[in-house]
Formats: sequence, C-alpha cells, structure tokens
Amino acid sequence: MATESSNGASIVTLKDVTKTFYRGKEPIHVLAGLDLDVPSGSFEALMGPSGSGKSTLLNLIAGLDRPTSGEVTVAGANLSRMSDGQLAKWRSQTIGFVFQSFNLIPVLTAAQNVELPLLLTDLGGADRKSRVATALRVVGLEDRMDHYPRQLSGGQEQRVAIARAIVNDPKIIVADEPTGDLDRKSADDVLTLMDKLNKELGKTIFMVTHDPAAAEKASVQRKLDKGALQ
Amino acid sequence: MNSATYARRNLSRRKGRTILTVIATAVAVLIFCAIRTVDVNFMAAVDDAMADRIATRHKVSITMQLPKRYIDDVRGIPGVTKATWGNWFDAKDPKERIPFFQGLAVDHESWFDVYDDMVVDPAQLAEWKTTPSGVIIGDKLAELFQVKPGDKLTISSGIYPGDWEFKVIGIYMPSRRTVDRNSVILRWDFLNNDPRAELVKDQIGWILTRIGGNSSSAEMSRAIDKLFDERDDQTVTMSERAFNLSFMGAFAAVLTAFDLVSIVILLIMTLILANTLAMSVRERTNEYGVLRAIGFPPKSIFGFIVGESLLLATLGGLLGCVLTYVLINLMLGPWLESGPMATMFPYFRTPPRVMALAMGLALALGLLAGLLPARRAAKLKVTDALRRVD
Repeated sequence: MATESSNGASIVTLKDVTKTFYRGKEPIHVLAGLDLDVPSGSFEALMGPSGSGKSTLLNLIAGLDRPTSGEVTVAGANLSRMSDGQLAKWRSQTIGFVFQSFNLIPVLTAAQNVELPLLLTDLGGADRKSRVATALRVVGLEDRMDHYPRQLSGGQEQRVAIARAIVNDPKIIVADEPTGDLDRKSADDVLTLMDKLNKELGKTIFMVTHDPAAAEKASVQRKLDKGALQ
Repeated sequence: MNSATYARRNLSRRKGRTILTVIATAVAVLIFCAIRTVDVNFMAAVDDAMADRIATRHKVSITMQLPKRYIDDVRGIPGVTKATWGNWFDAKDPKERIPFFQGLAVDHESWFDVYDDMVVDPAQLAEWKTTPSGVIIGDKLAELFQVKPGDKLTISSGIYPGDWEFKVIGIYMPSRRTVDRNSVILRWDFLNNDPRAELVKDQIGWILTRIGGNSSSAEMSRAIDKLFDERDDQTVTMSERAFNLSFMGAFAAVLTAFDLVSIVILLIMTLILANTLAMSVRERTNEYGVLRAIGFPPKSIFGFIVGESLLLATLGGLLGCVLTYVLINLMLGPWLESGPMATMFPYFRTPPRVMALAMGLALALGLLAGLLPARRAAKLKVTDALRRVD
C-alpha cells in the first residue's frame, strides 16, 4: 500500500460549480456557484442538513455525476469533460468508495469482495491475492477472508468495505455516512481506521456525515447549507 | 475469482427461483425434443427413401386402381431394372389386440427383389412362392401376434369382408432401420382369385420400379407417365420419398401443428427466463450501482446479466437433454417400440442432432431473454442505481 505525500496542494478543486435537477419541468438548484479546494492528504468532513446537497457534492467529487456548469478537477483530471467510460476507468484507479450500508456483495466472501476492483486491472491472480491479503490486514480482518458478509458484524462489514476501497491504492477515499448504520463502538473503530489510513498512508478522505462525533475525527469540518458552503 | 464467479454465484441467491426456472427450461426442452422426436421418427421413412426406387399410381388418386398389364409395359422401358406391384389390403386384427399394421397384397415373384431391404430367408421365400395362402410378416409384427413360421394367422380387412386365414411362411428382417417391421405381406394372386376381390380383379394399386444407376428418377418418372399418357388410366410417377410423403396426408398437417406447438413452448421458456432475469436485476439494481461506482463499465454489467441468463439456459438445457435421454430414449422409446404402439412407432428415439438443436435454441433464447434486462441495467445512471433499494 503506497503512502501518499501530503504536500498541501489541492487534490480536489471545484470552481463555480452548479448542479440543477429537474422535478418534471421544475428546476431544483442543489449547488449554486460552489468553490472548493481540498488539500492532498487531508481528512475532511462535510456536514449539513438533509437536502443541503452533501451527497450531490460527493458524487461530483467521486466522478459519479457531472456538474451542470463549472469545473471539477480531481487528482489532476477535469471530470466535467470526461465520458462515462473514461469516468468509470478513472474512478477505478483514483477513488475508493465507502457507503453507509456497506454494499458488499452477499454471494462473495470478504476476500472476493475486496478483490472486485482488482478485476479491472491487469494484475494476475497471485498479485491480486497478495493485495487482498494486505488490504484485509490493514483493516484487521485477515482472519475473516473466507467469511461471507452475513457471517460478519456490521462493523466488520464496513471494515471489509474499507479494504475494498483501498485495495486499488486510490488517491482519494470518499465516504458517504460511513458510520450511519453502526453502533457507537463499531463506528469508533471505523473512524479510527480511517484516521489511520489518513495519517499513516496519507490517503485523502472526504467524508459526508451527520454524526458530530465522526466529524470531530476529521481535520477539517465543512458545513453545506442550501447548496453553499458556510 | 473472475467475472464469471459473480454471475455464477448470483444463481445461488434465490435457490428456489433458480431451481424452478431451470426445471421450467428443462421441461420446455424435453417437450420440444419429444415433439421433434415424433416428427423425426415419422419422417424417417420418408427421408430415408431409396433414391433408385420410384412409384407409379393412378393420376387421379392412390385409391384408383391400374390395369395389371401396365406392369409389363413398365418392365419394357429402358432403364428399368426391376418392377413389382402391390395392393392395399387394409389389414386389421379381428381381436383388436394390435391397433394398426400394414397389409399388402404383392407379386410374390418380384416384390422382395424390388424391396431387397426386407430380408427373407431364401428357403422361406421359395416356400412362399409355392404357397398361395402364405404370408411373410415383419419380425415385430410376428412378436406382437406371437406367431412363427408354420402357424396360422387370421386377419380381417377393411376392404374385403370376412376373416382371412393365412399360413405364416416366413419372417422378414429389415436391413435398414427405417424399414417397417410391422407389415403382413400376402400374395396378390391369392387375393385376385378370391371372389371377395371381384371388383378389383386383375387390377393393381401401384407399381414400384427400380431404375438403373445412370437413370435419374425424374427422367424415368416422365418416361413411365408418357407411356400411359394416351391410355384410359393415366399415371403419375414419383420418387419413393414423394410417394411415402403422399401417404402422410393429413398427418403432415398434424406434424406442422406439432412444430408450431414446439415453437410456442420455446417462447414460453424465453418468457420464463426473461421474467426471472428481470426480477433478479430489479432486486440487484443498487448492487449494480456499487459495481459501476467502483469502476465496472456498463458492458461489464451487461455481461454479468447475459452471462447469468446463459448459465440458467445452459443448466436448463442440459437437464432437459438428460431428461429427454432418460425418459424418451431409455424408457418411452423401448416401451413404444415393443408394445402395441410399435406399429405407429417402430423406432422412437430422440436423435443427438435434435438434442443439440434444443440445446442450441435454449442458449440462443437464453441470450435473447437476458438482453433486455441487461441493457436496462447497463444504461442506468450510477447515482440512480445507488439510490435504488428494493
């Protein structure tokens, strides 16, 4: 697992970004002229009430969606100008995802779930196995490799999801309410793990959360309200 | 692990649904194979007709008789090597143990020369030629009637009244699989000399001709028909295949209806597969969103779903072929061939080519069934798919 240098240069830059959705013919302006700089190697938490545009912003940074206007530059790539296929490839190389409800594939073991992103690379079976073992060791679940998600606790499932997020050695980890479905103890374990990934491996983490305790773990807390950063 | 692992494991999520879908596909394949088996076995005699044997009948209808002297005219045509004739006897079992078998009154001197694929022991043939009331019967029919050479055999006729008593002289064996083994062959002269056949005296039903190696059946057919063109009774001559086919008559229409049913069965199979796939894809929309998010392109999602559909179709197709082999080739076929239905189905087995066709169609339709749900899932926006939780 490579250690990222945290030189303070922006890894995420948003310039005058707007995002408008339509409900029928009625426009809903979710983000309005938003500017954002996220320094490389930072651990940022984004908070805000429901409907404030947190997930929309996260989707734009993760390359899951495109802005209506403005520029989104992440890890040197201008996402606004990339096709769906280019975005998919870029995501597989640059972004690690952690979701609220873990989103593991129930019919695959922990190791197979972690291996999924590696199927998109040219790595051979032995290399993939080695990287999967490393990722599971980082999250402390090397002894649960052959367990299916239903055989794991919620906290363990989320740690497997984090292993899946880091196995490709991404530059940025985006986490959408990573502790939302966990009890306090498991949530603390997951946050400690994310802190370790940030501090020891230098991974940039951008986390959306409602949980003030989770936000406190981050080095930067931002608040989004009505499509604008406070 | 590879991408196929995911498609394969998906089948184990809802085991009950997967098992039912595989069984439904297998049953569709089995029904398709059974229908095609009926078709293929009925048509086998037609398709396996001898290329150098042609048949001549009355131009108006097979039920109209020809003057017996026509046989001499045919034998005189250059290119004709052998010729014989036969009359339909419409044989029946007076005790109704056997539902259907063929009875033919034939020329005892020439019939087995023209039909050399019905093999008779020379001694039995010689005895038959000197025994007007003798019959030679197929080996299967002999089993059904439980008679052997020397026994008496009483049959009735749908044309000629009363019971007819014969002596079994010999048993013919087929030299080819498609030769009917359930015929009773009696002498034409015996029938012709009986007062009950007074109305058709010295008349023959049809002429069967073997032609020389250099003659084409079409040319020879034209030559024969031309010979009788100016006579009172004109003829129509055709290849043995066409002649056999003309006997199928209305049954050919039934076979066509069977074919249509087999197509409907396959369409139902496709709908069952498509429905299963559509339900699975709907349940997993969020999961496909996750796969797209971590970088799997739309074509991978498409491939997972089509792969799953093909896997289902393969399992169903293979099970269907195994069921076909066991139920038809090992159980139903031998039972039909040896029981009272043997006259209808002298050979009833599903050929490997029919099973291969069923398997190929199952795969093709499995692919078709997966296309629509796969296309829909592949085209979903990642953010929409991630929001979808069923």
